[in-house]
Amino acid sequence: MSERPPYSMGALMAENTAPELSKYGLSSNSEQRKLFAQVDMLAIPLVVLLFAGIFSFHFALLVGDWDYWVDWRDRRWWPLVTPLALSVLPGVFGYLLWERLRLPLGGTLTILCLTAASWISRYLNFHEFADFPLNFVWPSTFIALGLILDCTLLLTRSFFWTGLFGGFAFGLLIYPLNWVLLAPFQVPVELHGTMLTVADLMGFEYVRTAIPEYVRIIEQATLRTFGEAVTPLTAVFAGFLTIMNYWFWLWIGYLGAKAIWTRKIV
Amino acid sequence: MLNYKFFGACFAMFLALGLPELAFAHGERAQMPQLRMRTVHWVDLNVSSTQLKVNEELVVSGSFMPSEYWPHHVDSVEGTAFLNIGIPGPSFVRLDSRVNGVPMIRSTSFKPGHIYNYEVRLKARKPGRYHVHPVINVKGTGPIIGPGLWVEVAEGVVSFENTAETLLGETIDLETYGLANVKFWSALWFLIGLAWFGYWLTKCPIIIPRFRDVENLGSADADQIITANDHRVGGVFLVLSLTLIVGSYMYAQENWPITTPLQTGKLESPKAAKNEPTISVEMIEARYRIPGRSFKVEFLVENHGQNAIDIGEFSAGNLRFINSDVLSVVPRDTHDLVAADALRVDGGSIPPGKKKSITIYANDALWETERMTTMIASPDSVVAGLLHFYDDRGNRSLVEFGGPMIPVFR
Repeated sequence: MSERPPYSMGALMAENTAPELSKYGLSSNSEQRKLFAQVDMLAIPLVVLLFAGIFSFHFALLVGDWDYWVDWRDRRWWPLVTPLALSVLPGVFGYLLWERLRLPLGGTLTILCLTAASWISRYLNFHEFADFPLNFVWPSTFIALGLILDCTLLLTRSFFWTGLFGGFAFGLLIYPLNWVLLAPFQVPVELHGTMLTVADLMGFEYVRTAIPEYVRIIEQATLRTFGEAVTPLTAVFAGFLTIMNYWFWLWIGYLGAKAIWTRKIV
Repeated sequence: MLNYKFFGACFAMFLALGLPELAFAHGERAQMPQLRMRTVHWVDLNVSSTQLKVNEELVVSGSFMPSEYWPHHVDSVEGTAFLNIGIPGPSFVRLDSRVNGVPMIRSTSFKPGHIYNYEVRLKARKPGRYHVHPVINVKGTGPIIGPGLWVEVAEGVVSFENTAETLLGETIDLETYGLANVKFWSALWFLIGLAWFGYWLTKCPIIIPRFRDVENLGSADADQIITANDHRVGGVFLVLSLTLIVGSYMYAQENWPITTPLQTGKLESPKAAKNEPTISVEMIEARYRIPGRSFKVEFLVENHGQNAIDIGEFSAGNLRFINSDVLSVVPRDTHDLVAADALRVDGGSIPPGKKKSITIYANDALWETERMTTMIASPDSVVAGLLHFYDDRGNRSLVEFGGPMIPVFR
């Protein structure tokens, strides 16, 4: 195996000779660099729009009401369902971006796009058009989870360890990450002799004809508790599931990267 | 010239799409007639006012009786049900909702053949003209929409207010509570995420050069692209993220130490009296004559009471057909589904202790306009309705009937 010289970014670009450049209709390396920058300027906004579109659609289908309404974000289902749906795109696109470009951006960028699309949708559709107060329909925050995945991938350079540590943290931390936003809405209030949370009260008062109270899939009392620790148990379980889920979607990304047409794109 | 016309037409269509449109209905006409007739019978809908201002209260009240002919293939109201209100979004806020005096904050169940009195107290939030309906959502079945009345809400002197007091003694504005906090933390994380993305964008151009470099270096050596600085930045962002998650959690625990999980669970069914009239009705035959939009039903009616009785009204699927010889009912607005003189009763009064053969004819275009005529296209041609009997003192008895319906095509 021949020894490689120490790698420096852009070295391969600079090594292009005049005949190689002229093959592509270019006259200099600076012109080539300019062309590459133009490709970035065109492709990156398109990728951002693509991620925003795909992810918000995917998230609406799989998480939907759990993230639309503050009175759906319970301790049992919301922190379990959300990371499973949320880790799909970071898995698939995280693999592609790392394997093809060595960019640890799959988690953060996809979730940033989802967050931007969610805020636009909640503000325009739910608040301006449907008149719900914004404090009833705000989207949760997940960007930290994408950062944890990406940073773990960058530091370990391993999908295995990223799935194990990053995936586990992804599921585990979804509730504590959002607790600072959610806690004020779980303060108790009384309504006509019944104790509710502020979120329940808002759900009752701000009428949703198509969403009766029983439609909510939220934690209900059960005998199968474990020291009454609902949230930590759900978080750990979500962590384990997210490890598996993240690895599975990495594998789907791997299958996608193997496809010949993706290699022909650039 | 053609282009001008074409673009003019497109522009007109665009404008038409943008015009504000009134929400006329909540899909009640879309439901199958059989379901409308055999699920919930609504009577005596009333609204406390049809003209009010923002911040003023509106009481919607009336009674309903779940049908004893509830279709077996549809989940029953005896399972899980919720008394709701059909309005376009949160144009009102719901302050209270009761059935037979019991607060209906959560779901409950109702018994067929029992009469329930409901009262929903609303507060006007947005100016507009709204068609207000009572609704019962039934788990596994969907919304059973009651009759509606128009209510107009005008701008108030002050903007809408909706406050509540927590059990910790804090008065909160439900329109804005917690929003500043949500915005702050969401914006902070968004900026941190953008910073991470921005760091990698500083390496632009990144797509083609990095793709080629990874190809040339091969998968095993491609990690050489990652610099020591990338590592440092990754470490900083990882520590920052974890620290901020822990820190924000501790901040939340400090500021909102007392919280409780979301509350749910079914309420006990409100106590109600079984509807036991002193009249027995046996349906002999029901026929719907399509060309005349005429519903004809033959009954054997036995009066076990002390006074002679007459049929004053026949109601089914929110339509009301009135026998004007007995009752005077005027539609309250343009969409009140009352046919004020559309019920003909052959057979006359039923004296006490007597059994008589009675035929009713409910003839009106409401069958057509409310899309009830599609009952002939149902896979289950069973109908039900409510007969409103009145004695000479004006006392009302409600009797439900039901059975198969035969369409008449000629």
